[in-house]
Amino acid sequence: MSRRLQLNTLRNRIIGGGLALLAGIVPIALIAVAALGIIRTTMRQELGVLQQVAEMTNGITSSVSDEIRAAEEYLIAPSANDQRTFRDAAASVYQYQRQLSAIPDLSPKERDAVTRIGTLQAQVEVDYHYAHVLADLGRADSAIAAAAEARTPTAELIAAVNDIGAGQAARSTATTNRLVAAATRERSIVWVVLIVSVVIGLGIGAALVRSVDQPISVLVDAAERFADGDLRPVHVGARLPAELEALSGAINRIGSRLRGIIGEVIGEGSRIAGTAGDLSAVSEELAATAGEITTAMVEISEGAERQVAGLDDGTRSMEQLGKAADSNAALAGRVAQLGAEIHRVAARHRADIAAAGTTLTDVQEFVERSAAQVEELERLSLAIDDFVDLIKRISSQTNLLALNAAIEAARAGERGLGFAVVAEEVRQLADSSAQAADDVTETIRAVRAKTGEVAATMKAGRAKVGGIGQAAHGVTQALDEIVAAVGEVEQAAQRVVEEASANAKATADVVTVLQDVSGAASTHASSAQEVTAAAEEQGASTEEMAAQANELSQAAERLRALVEGFTV
Amino acid sequence: MRISGRLAWPALVLAVAACSSKTAPIAIGLAGPFSTERGQSMRDAAELAVAEINQAGGIHGRTLKLVVRDDSANAERAMAVARAFYADPTVVAVVGHLTSGTTLAAAPVYNGGDTPLVEISPSASSPELSSAGPYTFRVCPTDLLHGSRLAAWAFDRLHAKRAAVLYINDAYGRGVRRVFERSFTARGGTIVSDDPYLLDLPSFGPYLRLVLQRGGADVLMIAGTQAGAERILPALKTVGWSPTVMGGDGLTGIEKSSVDANGVYISSAYLPDRPGAANQKFVAAYAKAYPGKMPDHRGAGAYDIIHLLARALEATGPDRTKLRDYLAGVGTRTPAYDGVTGRIAFDSSGDVPDKDVVIGVVHDGHLVTAGGQ
Repeated sequence: MSRRLQLNTLRNRIIGGGLALLAGIVPIALIAVAALGIIRTTMRQELGVLQQVAEMTNGITSSVSDEIRAAEEYLIAPSANDQRTFRDAAASVYQYQRQLSAIPDLSPKERDAVTRIGTLQAQVEVDYHYAHVLADLGRADSAIAAAAEARTPTAELIAAVNDIGAGQAARSTATTNRLVAAATRERSIVWVVLIVSVVIGLGIGAALVRSVDQPISVLVDAAERFADGDLRPVHVGARLPAELEALSGAINRIGSRLRGIIGEVIGEGSRIAGTAGDLSAVSEELAATAGEITTAMVEISEGAERQVAGLDDGTRSMEQLGKAADSNAALAGRVAQLGAEIHRVAARHRADIAAAGTTLTDVQEFVERSAAQVEELERLSLAIDDFVDLIKRISSQTNLLALNAAIEAARAGERGLGFAVVAEEVRQLADSSAQAADDVTETIRAVRAKTGEVAATMKAGRAKVGGIGQAAHGVTQALDEIVAAVGEVEQAAQRVVEEASANAKATADVVTVLQDVSGAASTHASSAQEVTAAAEEQGASTEEMAAQANELSQAAERLRALVEGFTV
Repeated sequence: MRISGRLAWPALVLAVAACSSKTAPIAIGLAGPFSTERGQSMRDAAELAVAEINQAGGIHGRTLKLVVRDDSANAERAMAVARAFYADPTVVAVVGHLTSGTTLAAAPVYNGGDTPLVEISPSASSPELSSAGPYTFRVCPTDLLHGSRLAAWAFDRLHAKRAAVLYINDAYGRGVRRVFERSFTARGGTIVSDDPYLLDLPSFGPYLRLVLQRGGADVLMIAGTQAGAERILPALKTVGWSPTVMGGDGLTGIEKSSVDANGVYISSAYLPDRPGAANQKFVAAYAKAYPGKMPDHRGAGAYDIIHLLARALEATGPDRTKLRDYLAGVGTRTPAYDGVTGRIAFDSSGDVPDKDVVIGVVHDGHLVTAGGQ
């Protein structure tokens, strides 16, 4: 990121913009400098040529005038000095003409003029020289006439020199025009580059302003939305400068945090409400179960009462326990304000129920044993029936025997009288036995009716005990659920500790009360009555718990109402 | 901008011409006053050389072609001719011009611009030509040599003490005159007079009479051309003066003119009677091609130039710049060329300093090597 040089920060963008402008301005400066250089070089070159040409044409003009002056003077008054001046001047015209010819940048027209100058100068020189020779020979008139011949080439010579001057003037104008054209062109280029630079600069500036302005307004809107409770993420859209990217990131993180917190609070509220609902349902179930236990226990007590006299004491004890339970229930009313202690109590109650289960098992065994004995009794009574039947059969036989004996005795007469008495006694005994047997049968029937009644009662008792066992199992399950629910409540309570701070005191109270209950309940741990008591206690507790759960769900509702103001 | 524009179109034309003419003849310009005898002798020899080369197979299969333009020995006309050659992209070199004046006047045209063109003169002897530009060459000695050799001949051989000078008032005449006078006076001689002339001079009589009036002279030095000499020689008779007449190679041709030129000494870079097999072959071929004619120094020079250009074109191909660079190296980078006029080896000025001049004398219509050389 940092390795790549990008326009991702405002600083870099500003530097980039500056560089872009510089990149426009520097070429302008370079073009201007180069243009000046070209113009200067061209001017120097052109002016150099112009100067050279001017020097030479001036030289030619002055030499020609020297030449003609000396030549004419010689004709008037010949002198060696004039002759020398004439020839030197002529020589210097050739020299200038050669130098002029050596200038490389001459136009064809100028070159023609230069060549013509040489030819004409030769003509002028020859004409004057010829005139001088004629003069030297003493032919003055001919000399003057010959000199007159030189006038035409002289005029042409001067004209040729002027042609070069005109050519130079034209050349100078052309150079000026070219320089002006070059300057105009350079100026156009500079203008174009300048305009392009300004456009680029403005573009960069506008882009810079837009790149700052748009994201900032988005961020401001986002902040205002946050203030109004709309915590939805901030979408800036285009790529941002690093600084604004950081700012946008920070705002988004704030939003995200707030969203997280609110979301969690809403979630927790819903969960608490749910848990509270669960709790109250469980409480109701628990209460119902406790009611069932109580009912079952009462039925057991009643059954036992009918069955066993000793169970009366139990009933009394149950009543006492019931009273104790009432008082405990009163205590438990305060207890149920906090789930955490319920958990502990429930755990303990599970142990209590286990103990109650043991007690129930003992009761069951006792009932079973009693039933067995009753069954044994019934079996024994059947044996008595058989015995009675035997006795009846024996008494009938005996009666028959006694009758036979009496017949025999009658037959025997006197000597049979004694025996007839014995036989009569035996017959009477047999009748008594039959009578006894009937009595026994009657007794047995009564006993059996009683025994059947007892067995039926026993069966009912056994069923009841079984029902109690099931109920206890249901209680255990319910307690487990309570433990779980309470665990959730505990967790929920901890999370909503701020909102539930008001509950803390109540919870402490419940803890205290439950400890009291615990103390109270422990004294009843060993008896079945404790089950009832605990169950009732529990019933009360669960009611409280239901109340608490209700409060919790109300709190959750309030919480939800509180955070509903936020949009996440 | 201007330079590149100026450079672009002739270069393009050159390229197009080069591409479209792989088999077309290679053109060589020939510039001189062809209506005069001296010009005609130059042209005849040049055409002979071209014919010889083409007969031998040309330049890598391409024939040579002469493009002939007449400059009438006039400086202004010579410039127009030079511009015409310069603008013709097929022309790779110019043989010419014949005189110093025309060669000098045309030199800036050939040496200027972006596609400079070689001018190589057979006979322009002005010292000024040495500095005329890198594309200007000549195969003849300069007036410095002619002037000094003539002065030495007059003073040492002819024992002349007084000399009268008539010079044509152009670059050539002034050049020869200056060197002659300097050499002659340096040896102890006296210049009685030096008079310029042009061909329209009314009469040479006054000049010659004045010399006589001043006490006469041992030699009359004519730093001029055949045309001038053809008027001066009769004028001498008119004034009754018969000095020893001598002159530079500009006088060449006078031997064949109608005037009596017997005994006139003429300095020359070439004389047909010079020894050497190549020269004898050339003279024979020339005589065969142009019956009754003998080559002069202009023709011999042109003949050598055409053969030298052929050698250069063999090596470089038809390219103006390469051709110039090759010529500049003849005698240094490449061997000197042994032609009919002698050994050609260019110095940095495009001159042939190794070449000497000989003094010829007109004898019965012929220019022959003067005795004692």
